[in-house]
Amino acid sequence: MKRSHIILLLLIAACVATVISTFSSSSRSVGFSVAQADPGEEFKVSGTLVREEPVIYDPESNPNLTVFFMQDREGVIRRVELLQPKPTGLENSESVDVYGRFEGETFHATEMLMKCPSKYNEHNHVMMDSTAAEV
Amino acid sequence: MEYLNEWTEVAQIGHALVALAFSAAAVATVAFARKWSQLGKWAFWTHSASLMAIIALIFVLFASHRYEFQYIWKHLNNQMPMRFILSAFWGGQEGGFLLWMFWNTVLAAVVLLAKDSVWKMPVMAWLSGIALFLTSMLLGVYFGDFMLGMDPFLLLREAPENLGLPWTQRSDYLTAFPLFQDGKGLNPLLQNYWMTIHPPTLFLGFAATTVPFAYAMAGLRRREDRSWMKPALRWSFFGVGILGTGILMGGAWAYEALSFGGFWAWDPVENASLVPWLTLVAAAHLLLINRNRKEPTALFSTYYLPIITYLLVVYSTFLTKSGILGDTSVHSFVDSGILPQLLAFLLTYTALAHGALLPGIRGYFGVVGLWAIAVVVMLKGYAAEGVLLGLALSTAAGWWAFRNGFEKRKEEDSLASREFWMFAGSLLLVVAALHITFQTSIPVLNKFLAPFSDMFARLGEQWNSEVFRRLAAHDFAPGTDMDATYHRVQIPLAFLITFFMAVAQWLPYRGKGVTWGGLFKKLRVSLVATLIVGLLLVVIYGWNRMSIPLLLLLMSTAFAVFANAHYLVAFLRGKWDAMGPSIAHVGFGMLLFGAVLSTSQKDIISQNQIGDIRSLSEELDNREDLLMLQGDTLPMGPYFVQFARKYTEGIHVKFDMVYFEKEEKRYRQGDVVFFDGMMFEALEDHVASHRFEEDLEALWRFIPMPNKRQADAAQIWVSGVAGKPLFTLSPRIQLNEQMGNAPEPDTRHGVFRDLYTHIKWGRVTPLETDEEGWLGGRSSSMAVGDSMLIGTTLLTFDSLRAIPMEERPDRGLLDGDLALAACITLDGKRGTSTHQPLYIVRDSLIIPDLYEAEDWGLKFRIDKFDPQLGQLDWTIWEHESVKQDFVVMQAAIFPMINVLWLGCILMAVGTFMAVRSRWKRDRRAAG
Repeated sequence: MKRSHIILLLLIAACVATVISTFSSSSRSVGFSVAQADPGEEFKVSGTLVREEPVIYDPESNPNLTVFFMQDREGVIRRVELLQPKPTGLENSESVDVYGRFEGETFHATEMLMKCPSKYNEHNHVMMDSTAAEV
Repeated sequence: MEYLNEWTEVAQIGHALVALAFSAAAVATVAFARKWSQLGKWAFWTHSASLMAIIALIFVLFASHRYEFQYIWKHLNNQMPMRFILSAFWGGQEGGFLLWMFWNTVLAAVVLLAKDSVWKMPVMAWLSGIALFLTSMLLGVYFGDFMLGMDPFLLLREAPENLGLPWTQRSDYLTAFPLFQDGKGLNPLLQNYWMTIHPPTLFLGFAATTVPFAYAMAGLRRREDRSWMKPALRWSFFGVGILGTGILMGGAWAYEALSFGGFWAWDPVENASLVPWLTLVAAAHLLLINRNRKEPTALFSTYYLPIITYLLVVYSTFLTKSGILGDTSVHSFVDSGILPQLLAFLLTYTALAHGALLPGIRGYFGVVGLWAIAVVVMLKGYAAEGVLLGLALSTAAGWWAFRNGFEKRKEEDSLASREFWMFAGSLLLVVAALHITFQTSIPVLNKFLAPFSDMFARLGEQWNSEVFRRLAAHDFAPGTDMDATYHRVQIPLAFLITFFMAVAQWLPYRGKGVTWGGLFKKLRVSLVATLIVGLLLVVIYGWNRMSIPLLLLLMSTAFAVFANAHYLVAFLRGKWDAMGPSIAHVGFGMLLFGAVLSTSQKDIISQNQIGDIRSLSEELDNREDLLMLQGDTLPMGPYFVQFARKYTEGIHVKFDMVYFEKEEKRYRQGDVVFFDGMMFEALEDHVASHRFEEDLEALWRFIPMPNKRQADAAQIWVSGVAGKPLFTLSPRIQLNEQMGNAPEPDTRHGVFRDLYTHIKWGRVTPLETDEEGWLGGRSSSMAVGDSMLIGTTLLTFDSLRAIPMEERPDRGLLDGDLALAACITLDGKRGTSTHQPLYIVRDSLIIPDLYEAEDWGLKFRIDKFDPQLGQLDWTIWEHESVKQDFVVMQAAIFPMINVLWLGCILMAVGTFMAVRSRWKRDRRAAG
């Protein structure tokens, strides 16, 4: 066997290891119902902030706890406890991803990503209704 | 209809210029491909001139605040200082493409103006083709729902979302509505000098990858002639230097001005620029091996890596600009309808590149034809299947070319040759790039899995396999644990790469006359130095903060630094032309060393160090962020910190955090302290260390049942006392109504470590109170014996007593009332006092009774009493006069981060020295 063959084999092995490592370290992107059925397991849930409910952040009693309600893409609404200070722009967020696990009816999130309409300004539409046009 | 004050004609001129640039690029591509040199030149210069005119025109629009243009309206407003005009220009996707096109044209002009060679025409053809594709991104033409390009000269009233709205029918809309006299403005986060220098550097780096690509593609058509490798090599190293600088500028930006808490977060957008850099470094090293050799080695990779680098640049553009990453990235663009076009861009070049790998025109058309079939499959609505089919065909073409496409050497390079180690190192770089690409592409992989979902589901049933069920669900999400997702694979790879980097320089090409013993002898000095560094690391950071893989990686990076520095001093002193590579290697080693050390040993010092009653019930507290009241001085790592003041400066609210020297705190035998709500007694005289846990076992005894004397004497444990003030850091919050307030850190730079402070939460709006200044009430439940903190006041619920008959008249109570008094003690800055708010039930109705503790600025109302639990529910109001301001902050120490920055500079300098000396040498050889 030539050395180039050995290198090729090692390269293929490295690629396979990479693929396995990627999938084994990945988490799952699911809805609240799936995540709740499997408490203790870590999931990613995407959805939107429920604006009708208040975002509770009371730094004086706990600076690292933000509580809000979130609706996932299937329409399920759950209470989320984020173990971090309230991220700026949460109220304006377009979509929210939380990473964490369920405990009872509450999703305990350790990390959160937000998509804000502000990022790179690409999503701002001119909003005008007909009444404004009559000014 | 004519619109008043609108630059309608300018928009038309803009459109004409875009059309001209597009058609000129098309003509240039064909002309250069057919070697019609004069026509090609004319067409190329026409393209360049119209492109410059487009750019100039957009600057004019910015400078004159023409808000009728959508691009201006989105990225400019009246308040924005003109020094950010460049940032605003490339703040959007259109500007980003223009920037890329600008550099592409500049580099193509350099190629065109250089001395004639057989490569000029085909290289210009490829570069013009890329210009053509990039210009198509600006066309703004619709074919049904398919959008071809985003028009930078689009008028606001012509934007799809505004079409048909009543105001677009008014000729005076620009003056009639205040909305059009000011724009949305550039995201304030982008209004800084980083945004001025980072994108142009990065895009120059991206553009630089197109030149080696063009040379490699040209080289594939004349495989017997390998003279393309020399110019491609220079351009590759130019790209390595520029792209590397651009990436690190992004890191520096994140570290200095954004709230990432570090300079690298493995964010998909960061990864997307790192991956092509890695493959470009590998490509450059293979070109280095083969440029002069009569008997080339690893020829396939030498052709393929410059090509794949460019494809990865296009892929990264696709990932970040198409919106496909959606929510896995903090800062990718949202979907703007450009996905199909970007995909077409990517697939076209993948097809062309892999077609070119097959020799002769027949194989070429074969692959392009098969790709066409794949595209038809896609257009039939099976996008993922079509792309997969195309990729499979490309892989097959690549495999065939690898086996048969290039001449092969019979004998292999010796194990002791520099070539072999460079080749092995390059392959490892490719594996590292592959892993990062794979991780970043998880959202794309899910899309590829989707069509096979049913098949995987059936297999999962049949074999009862969890793996197949996961594949069927295709709901993979990137893991959040960076150690598991990236470091576990990248650390061993980086270890090997840096080790090869250390050794390769000491081996001669061809490996003539090398003995392993001799090599070891030469490397002995560096090895000893490395071992000393390893030892120092263990001594300084200890085993609880240092793991074996981490230590090995740090040592191998140090080894790379020492071995290359030694080589530099021993052989290259004064030979400026030959020093570039070694300097770049030293720089890269230092960069990795600094990056790994400062990240792994990042010390978050804002952890709760005092026995704070608030943390009693918080099992899930993350404890990395600390609440600080204004005026309070808290111990933090080796400092004391005080939140001194808050003030507004322009669009920023700044928070002055004063750092004090920490003087030692002496405890005497018998001293009693609180920690975490428990009481301890000192066993001997000692000086407190930074953390209570370190002293606990040897120096303190837990007191389970403290007596009165102990309880009275007890004080909260502190790690030191504040000394004289050292410096002030002013982290800030940027106010922005439209886009949300954004925190920006402040960092004190030291030689050996940086101190980073960051506001996680701070009040930037006035408190909401009623007319009398009372804040909204807070409800809580307490049982006898409980205490809680309200601001700085400690409230203790001591006891509960029934109000006897004789006291009732004074309190306005009736005989039939049920009345309880909650006896509470308030303890704080105003001393100590006791109070008795009442709970009254009259005729089985609760009579709300407001109790105000004057001087304390507190108001109570007992809402409910549960006799079984002995528990009270009450609402407590605070008055704004007693309310202290506070912030939630994080502070961290990054050790040795300057090694990283110094490494960056050395790497860039070394790379450019190498490019320069290579260019000089090639010119001398040619002329």
